[in-house]
Amino acid sequence: MLLDHLPALLAVVPLVAALALPLAGAVRPRLVYPLAVGAGAVTAVLSLLTLERVLTRGVMRYHVGGWPPPWGIELVVDHLSAFVALTVSGLVALALLYAGPAVRSGTAGSPSPFFALALLYLASLMGIVVAGDLFNLFVFLEVASIASYALVASGGGRALMAAFRYILLGTVGASFYLLGVGHLYLLTGTLNMADLSQRLPELGASRVLLVAVGFLVIGLGIKMALVPLHGWLPDAYTYAPPAVTALIAPVTTKVAAYALARVLFSVLGAPAALAGIPLMSVLAWAGGAAILVGGVLAIRQNDLRRLLAYSSVSQVGYIALGIGLANRPALAGAYLHILNHAMMKGCLFFAAGAVAARLGGSALTDLRLMHRRMPVTTACIVVAALSMIGIPPAGGFFSKWYLLVGALEAGHTLLAGVIVGGGLLAAAYMFKVLEHACLARPDAAGHASDESPGGRAEAPAAMLIPLVALSVGIVAVGIWSAPIVSGVLWFAAAAGLE
Amino acid sequence: MSEVLNALFLALLVILAGAAVRVRDLVGAVLILSAYGLTMSLVWAGMGAVDVAFTEAVVGAGASTVFFLATLLRTLPREQPRERRARPATLVGVLLLGGLLLLAIHEFPAWSDPASPASLHVSPRYLRDGYRETGAPNIVTAVLADYRAYDTLIETVVIFTAGVACWLLLPRRDP
Amino acid sequence: MTEFLAYAVERYTYWAYVALMLIGFYAMIAHGNLLKKLIGMNIFQTAIILFFLSISAKRGATLPIIPPEAGELVVAPPHFMNPLPHALMLTAIVVMVGTLGVALAVLIKIHRTYRTFEEDVILRQT
Repeated sequence: MLLDHLPALLAVVPLVAALALPLAGAVRPRLVYPLAVGAGAVTAVLSLLTLERVLTRGVMRYHVGGWPPPWGIELVVDHLSAFVALTVSGLVALALLYAGPAVRSGTAGSPSPFFALALLYLASLMGIVVAGDLFNLFVFLEVASIASYALVASGGGRALMAAFRYILLGTVGASFYLLGVGHLYLLTGTLNMADLSQRLPELGASRVLLVAVGFLVIGLGIKMALVPLHGWLPDAYTYAPPAVTALIAPVTTKVAAYALARVLFSVLGAPAALAGIPLMSVLAWAGGAAILVGGVLAIRQNDLRRLLAYSSVSQVGYIALGIGLANRPALAGAYLHILNHAMMKGCLFFAAGAVAARLGGSALTDLRLMHRRMPVTTACIVVAALSMIGIPPAGGFFSKWYLLVGALEAGHTLLAGVIVGGGLLAAAYMFKVLEHACLARPDAAGHASDESPGGRAEAPAAMLIPLVALSVGIVAVGIWSAPIVSGVLWFAAAAGLE
Repeated sequence: MSEVLNALFLALLVILAGAAVRVRDLVGAVLILSAYGLTMSLVWAGMGAVDVAFTEAVVGAGASTVFFLATLLRTLPREQPRERRARPATLVGVLLLGGLLLLAIHEFPAWSDPASPASLHVSPRYLRDGYRETGAPNIVTAVLADYRAYDTLIETVVIFTAGVACWLLLPRRDP
Repeated sequence: MTEFLAYAVERYTYWAYVALMLIGFYAMIAHGNLLKKLIGMNIFQTAIILFFLSISAKRGATLPIIPPEAGELVVAPPHFMNPLPHALMLTAIVVMVGTLGVALAVLIKIHRTYRTFEEDVILRQT
């Protein structure tokens, strides 16, 4: 039955498409874009089927090549994996559709390698999400990294140094992750996550285990851009071509956060096995710091994309905070935030790219009176802003709500305050954006404020459809938050805490 | 005797690595790195990891050097690298890394102990049943091409991705 | 003092990878020349491979190749090296060179744009 192979198909389908793309491109260049978007859509549908299967039949375990773990590689799809897989594939499918105009106009490099790398990126993210083996995760992580390094660098100019810095820091992160895996292997002789989770508790407290955990957390922390390891993100997201940022910004850090949660809960059995190490507290506080630092830095930015980049640093903090609190509501909130942030940040970066394409730049002043020229795009920005600030029924409210419940349940009133404070910071920087976009202001040359330069210049359809889809999605997820949490995320959160 | 040789090679490795980093001429540094790669592969061969050793000799010492030299020949940098400056964050990072590594070493099982967990779990089956189950006398091949073939597939995808990345980044014609 | 020396000598094979990792890491982060940073990256990554191979060494064991003539003879695992880390490290080397290739491609583009490999000169130009 084909559906039995779903865990493997999630990565294999985009991979095969990526391999076919250059060939198709050489024969018939016009096929590249539809092929890429089609592959993204198929992957999204497959991940939907996977989620449905997990909900009805429970956790899926897949032994690649028929070899039983721990001798063979195992793929595991549980509620969390399926949820994240659907989020990622959905966002990437939309980003592939969105990238069409940019690629056609030449700002994102030539179509074949761009879309091939984007599909390889999707395949590797899927591979990370279904991985049940620590080393397998590493190899997929590196494919994703290499693809994103190159995609960022394709922007030329300032993107080159940003990409180089990203390469250095990303390699350190992946290498630290590998060191952590090596120390775990030293202790147990196995790489399989389920096997490790059974063997590690028998070892008790061990310095090698402590070091392994340290390397794993720091390594994945770099990949998810958790403060203070976030140095690569602002430049990379700001200077990469808009189509690239739209592709990688919604999902890169989320998949790394997923990997962190997976390692902490399914392998290490936190918080129980990490007796004596206040790791989860450190994580929660790092998350809190990220919320504040990212938010404050975002307010100070005058470039839209840089503002959104720092906002991403801030929002990753919420996820880390939820993981660190490690109780059911906090984890449910953190995982829901994976979806919400992917959607709202995706929506905002899509809008930023549309602005850059139509209005010529990404400074905040370029947004001047965009509500007249690009009304639909502006409306989408407003919806995303509501979600960022945390105003119901936009989805962002609900993930913050669960996080708040989790923080209070754990007795961390200060962290609860940080969550609320983060919402206020988000209000500040989103208002800054909306002010430029909607309120009339004289521009630098002192033109009268109600003259809007040029006429209607709404984003092209290929950009507009994903924008609108995400805006609708943000509200839909908000409205349906309760069933999403009770049906999927509650189980995902529980899985790690046994 | 082989212990002494082992120790000498390891010391040589550290010296070559330090030299590669400190030498100011970039071509010279790359060639020292090549020597480092070759010495590294000798160390690994001495440890019995022959597959890894010849892969490193080809890829690490060979291909990497070619890539570096190709980069240098295309760019012909004129100036020599200047002295570096150490920021406090760097020292923190180095201390953290060193500290974590040394902390772990303290509790390692004795070197090359046949009863270490890594020798007792998972790998015995590869050795015992590998030839019978996969048909490959070289058990490393059995692991790579059969038991963990998925990893090898993705490893080739890595190369493909890097290739496509270079295709995206480097124009065929110099501007 | 003698205890410390005995301790150090007993674990001497491990000091090598620690030293190499620190040299490589320091070069990656602190050096001002971009190509030197990549050299540091290469050293750092090979040091990690040395780490993996060091922790899985087995005294008195031979290569993990089972000659076909062995036939039905029972293979005793303690006599053979652990093949798993070898396989993993082969993959790691390939990943390493893939990353290096992309990094060098980016470096070529950087040189075309800024005409230098020095980080501070480049940052002054942007």
